[in-house]
Amino acid sequence: MEFSIGHLLYVVLGVPIVFSILAVSNILGNNMLHHLSRLSAVIVGAAVFQIMLLFDSGRPYSGTYLYLDALSLWMMMIVTLLYLAFAFTAEAYLDRDTNIRYGYLRRFSYLEGRFYALSHIFVWTMLLVVLVNNLGLMWVTIEATTLVSALLVAFKFTKTSLEAAWKYVMVCTVGICLALLGTILVYYAQLQAGCQDLPLDWVYLAACASELNPAMAKIAFCFLFVGYGTKIGLAPMHAWLPDAHSESPALTSGLLSGSLCICAMYVLLRNVVILMPAVGVQFISDIFVSFGILTIGLAVPFVVVQRDIKRMLAYSSMENFGLMAVGLGIFLPTSVGAGFLHMLNHALVKYALFYTAGTIMETYSTKNMMRIHGMLKQSPRTAVIWLLGIVGILGMPPIGVFFSKFHIIAGLFTVGDMWRGILTLLLLAGIVMGILYHTTRMLGGQPTRRSAGELMGIMDTAAIIALLVLSGVISLVVNELPFLGPILQESVKIVMGGVL
Amino acid sequence: MEYLVVLLILVVFLQTRIMELHRATYLLAIQSAIIAGSCVIIGVSAGGGGVYAFLPGLLTLGVKVVFIPWAILRLIGQIKDDSEINSNINVNYSSMAAAVFLVMGYIMADHLLPGVIGRDIFAAAILTIMTGLTLIVMRRRAIMQIVGLITLENGIYFFGLLMTEGLPLIVELGVFLDVLIAVVVLVILTGRMRLSFMTTDTGVMRKLKG
Repeated sequence: MEFSIGHLLYVVLGVPIVFSILAVSNILGNNMLHHLSRLSAVIVGAAVFQIMLLFDSGRPYSGTYLYLDALSLWMMMIVTLLYLAFAFTAEAYLDRDTNIRYGYLRRFSYLEGRFYALSHIFVWTMLLVVLVNNLGLMWVTIEATTLVSALLVAFKFTKTSLEAAWKYVMVCTVGICLALLGTILVYYAQLQAGCQDLPLDWVYLAACASELNPAMAKIAFCFLFVGYGTKIGLAPMHAWLPDAHSESPALTSGLLSGSLCICAMYVLLRNVVILMPAVGVQFISDIFVSFGILTIGLAVPFVVVQRDIKRMLAYSSMENFGLMAVGLGIFLPTSVGAGFLHMLNHALVKYALFYTAGTIMETYSTKNMMRIHGMLKQSPRTAVIWLLGIVGILGMPPIGVFFSKFHIIAGLFTVGDMWRGILTLLLLAGIVMGILYHTTRMLGGQPTRRSAGELMGIMDTAAIIALLVLSGVISLVVNELPFLGPILQESVKIVMGGVL
Repeated sequence: MEYLVVLLILVVFLQTRIMELHRATYLLAIQSAIIAGSCVIIGVSAGGGGVYAFLPGLLTLGVKVVFIPWAILRLIGQIKDDSEINSNINVNYSSMAAAVFLVMGYIMADHLLPGVIGRDIFAAAILTIMTGLTLIVMRRRAIMQIVGLITLENGIYFFGLLMTEGLPLIVELGVFLDVLIAVVVLVILTGRMRLSFMTTDTGVMRKLKG
């Protein structure tokens, strides 16, 4: 039987919702729930894979409200990969959470269904973000991701998670409201330019982008940058990020860091493509690169003095988002491509790391890295995966992050921005020192604390290893890969549209 | 329309003074009603007619005038402690700030958008947005922050009405849905906060640092 892309998109958007309704209705046993969750992720994964095979970058799919071009497909692939990773690690995580000392959920087994339902809806909203065709709808879906994930952040309803969720909703909603203001200004500029046929439609706007009023476009860009920048977690607006990433359940942290923030970056990029001809490349590039470097710089001291294992990862995420902003802001084909590749690599490796961090927290029933020693002796498998992930996220060769980081920094030197390149390198060195210091302390030495032994099971180990390997393999050969390579190159062209 | 703008400015000024939660919620409802009214006026004067002119106004009425205040009032009803509902911090600065924002709104209107017809509307929208922000930043209690958030949203919506006569219908529906869900989520969180911390004062939440 033949499916068209349109049908497959309905499958992608339909399955998670159907599963969530089933999960929240609580008619399924817990075993059934795990199986169905994996099944729905696999169906979505297969559908996305099929879309990638069918996709022809010359003819993007365009429906009434949906739009799929290479850029959306690339993002959809990242979200789907994390969705699969989520589905295959969720059972182990939830089992642990319902059993051992740390287990909060053991008293409320009905909450498992709710956790699944919320997580699947969360993934669904992220899929919607990358699939809608309208700048206004993108805003709506981004706000929806905030609201759904806020419930996930506060899922355990401990005091700290409540605080994190409250801060998250307040800061992000205010930020996102500013982005709405920016969107209204874009709409106003569109009306002024006399292209009112399809209000806020992305393709239509991209076609008449050069007619927008420059002054208005500049104001709109500033609001949009601050608004979506808050959601990405760029430097002065990042207050919510370490809290939300560290206090939520480990699986949610992985999804938040891996896919949500880059979805916000995707929406910002879509807006930038529209505004670029009117605002000018130089202005946008300056703002992206300076805020990116500021974000990296702000993360360094917090990583070095950090004691909380997941907060350390959260600050490392900030560093990576800063680097993505730098890469995308240089507007060179190689660096923009590296920025997209970095989104993929960071998502895969950071999900693995957050999951492992959650496991370590339960092995030692503490979040404080200073109290964890001798992991290599007590839980060797977890320790090795943790080391691999850390080495990867710091940008060392076997894992893919190396390639993307390398090209981003090389981009800075290519455009002749030597001082900013050196500054970035120095800041990254600070991050490396901070994180490696903590990691080696945790891995080596004599164990001082009773541990729950080796907690990583077979299925989650396999899933995590698969993530790390995938990151390495894809980055190594991405330009030669049959379907992925053209999609990446085409996405770069979409962003570079106004510059080339 | 002019009367509505004057009324809106009055209500927003009052909002900076009121510390009692019931009254703050009623004021929010009145403010949303004004927004709904101007929504209908602009919808009709734009000449659309039919359902499309009235739908956003009706939705504002349903969501922001009826549902949201009802949800907040229900939440307040569960709070037994009187000192939670009343508090006397110094609000003079907020009112003064609001006055400054209004002037700022007029200056911005003249500088940024010299040609725009609704200079007063623009200033009122800026006032509402900035007052919403002030409420979120300056007030400690969770419910006042929710009120501030809706005020901010109202201001932006009002601004959108002036600039573009509202957003495309499908986007507008989405925005309403988001506001609705946001309030539900915040009410859930506030309820939990009351159970965990025995207070709805967000000042007690300062464990997460660095």
